Amino acid sequence: MTMEKIILAAAALAFWAGAARAEIKVVTASSDLKYLCERVGGAEVKVESLASGDQDLHMVEPRPSLVYKLKKADLVVRVGLDLDMWVDSLINAARNPRLFYGQPGYVDASVGVPLLEKPEGKVDASMGDIHIYGNPHYWLDPANAKIMAANVLAGLKRAAPDKAAVFEANCAGFIKETDERLAGWQDRMAKYKGLKVITYHSSWPYFAARFGLDVAGHVEPKPGIPPSASHLNGLVKKMKAENIKVILTESYYPRKGPDFLAGKTGAAVVTAAVSAGGAKDVKTYFDVFDRVIEGLEKAAGK
Amino acid sequence: MKKTLLLTLLLASAVFAGAQEAGTPPQGMRGTPANLPDVSALGNITGYLSDDKSDTGRSDLGINEVETAFQGYIYPEMRADIILAIHKHDGKYESEICEAKASFLKLAEGLSGEMGKIHLDFGRINKLHTHHLPMVDKPQALVNFFGDHELAGQGGTLKYLLPFTPFYTQVQAGAWTMAPHEHGVTADYPEDVLNITGSTVSVPSLVHEDADFSPAGKVYTARINSSFELADKTELELGLSGLKGRGAHYEEHMDNVEVTGADLTLRLWPSAYKKFTFQNEWMHLKRVVPVGTLQRDGFYSFLNYRADKYWDFGARFDYAEGAWPTISYERALSAIVTRHLTETSYWRLQYKHRNLDGENSNEGWLQVSFGIGPHSHELE
Repeated sequence: MTMEKIILAAAALAFWAGAARAEIKVVTASSDLKYLCERVGGAEVKVESLASGDQDLHMVEPRPSLVYKLKKADLVVRVGLDLDMWVDSLINAARNPRLFYGQPGYVDASVGVPLLEKPEGKVDASMGDIHIYGNPHYWLDPANAKIMAANVLAGLKRAAPDKAAVFEANCAGFIKETDERLAGWQDRMAKYKGLKVITYHSSWPYFAARFGLDVAGHVEPKPGIPPSASHLNGLVKKMKAENIKVILTESYYPRKGPDFLAGKTGAAVVTAAVSAGGAKDVKTYFDVFDRVIEGLEKAAGK
Repeated sequence: MKKTLLLTLLLASAVFAGAQEAGTPPQGMRGTPANLPDVSALGNITGYLSDDKSDTGRSDLGINEVETAFQGYIYPEMRADIILAIHKHDGKYESEICEAKASFLKLAEGLSGEMGKIHLDFGRINKLHTHHLPMVDKPQALVNFFGDHELAGQGGTLKYLLPFTPFYTQVQAGAWTMAPHEHGVTADYPEDVLNITGSTVSVPSLVHEDADFSPAGKVYTARINSSFELADKTELELGLSGLKGRGAHYEEHMDNVEVTGADLTLRLWPSAYKKFTFQNEWMHLKRVVPVGTLQRDGFYSFLNYRADKYWDFGARFDYAEGAWPTISYERALSAIVTRHLTETSYWRLQYKHRNLDGENSNEGWLQVSFGIGPHSHELE
């Protein structure tokens, strides 16, 4: 009897261990990429995000617990374009040979994305916290999610070629849903084409380009530089002169500057989570767009 | 329906072809043109005031240190970091190889190695370069036991991430040859020391106490550190460090040195930019000289609050016993304010109240630290 129990326990353990091995472990830099990986990978993947949705991806602090997540991962998926430079030191510290740059487990989700605000000529800190490879907030155009999903698909196929058909079907489903949702969002935003907005940081050029918004200025005088009183006063004049009635700000930035502008001009402030999990009612990547478009509709309708 | 599926698959395949490109290059591969390493320069301008009239460095303002770094990959998963520094010591500028190392990032699963001249991984602070410190001056315990500079050795180290622990644990061991910093070593000075029987013995071979004490010669180090995610955005890090070697002036002192250390750091991120850090490090020095054994302790506790993206407010308590036979006791309290400009540039104010063997003094610093160009460090 005891021997039977041992054999049964060993079999259960072997089954459990086998099942655990079969799961592809994916670590992503952002919660949006986590959502994409879960959609493309489906039941075959276990995904963890290094950053939470309410974090500013410029400012994530690399720490040992994040190294631990990468240590046994099969795939790392990063935003790229210098937004998540902190991932470099984590990959090196994890010493996981699958995840080094150029290895099969390394996925840069930005590959193939048509980039905006790519600086030309010399770049230095006098221009603020400028990204030399282009604006990295590309996921805020939902159309780019299709390219990101394709990059994820390529990575997952390298990690588990035998499950390629499953991943391709999942990816196609995700792309189809993205297209359907995008069409709906574009319909809703059509009447706001040309709407002038002030944004806190230069996070929204991809979103603005997709939905026809006109970003007339930023609360930050230059990327990463906090607003001065004179800069805010200049924005007040501009907003009054050009009748700008909407200020769009990321949820993690301080409200002091936007509230000052709103108080002086009567503009409405739309506080938006830029990633899945960035607010209570923003649980998925698609929720990001649902909520920000709702916010813009309310603000523009005032 | 089938057509839609086919089209989306075709689109995915087309983009998949693009995905074969490698993407944004990581740090160490971003110098332009493409075959240049990452080149960066960092400067540290420091103003210092003290009401201790015997302090020859007081009322000084100027560039304290310039660091130039060349960083890049020399082979797949092998990188090189060369960091050259010119720093001010006793009013004079001296140049040195701060660090120059080759890192083997993938010796085996979980195993990496480094060779060259390297800041020793002892505790939380020693391996940090000046511009990465969250304070202007180093805690006094490190100065007393390791000298004014970061303790660096020529040699190699192996680091291994334990595969079986359900949390981050790294063990490492290194072997080094270490030259002492020669500043201030002028001559032999006799010292009266207590031997192990309690009687006083004059030891003519001791270097005067204005010299740096630090381990040197053949030095062996080991460290184990673990990290625990206590809750979402709350991390506890624990570490134990050990070092065995000789004193910097072994020929005069005949001293064998052991330093042990323990560190505890708690970090909390209550929101996107806010952060609390509570960092503590204890060090024990055992210095065996022919006439007996000196046992010395040192400790600091550092509390820091990052209020937003730009401002840090910190406080530090230091307790340090001197490494010399005539024991000294120092206690200090510091208040630190930092305003970050960019990732590598900031200005900082620090006030420190010291009590050294009952003598009080007050010190103040203004520090402006700036960086130009792509500069990176391993996980700290």
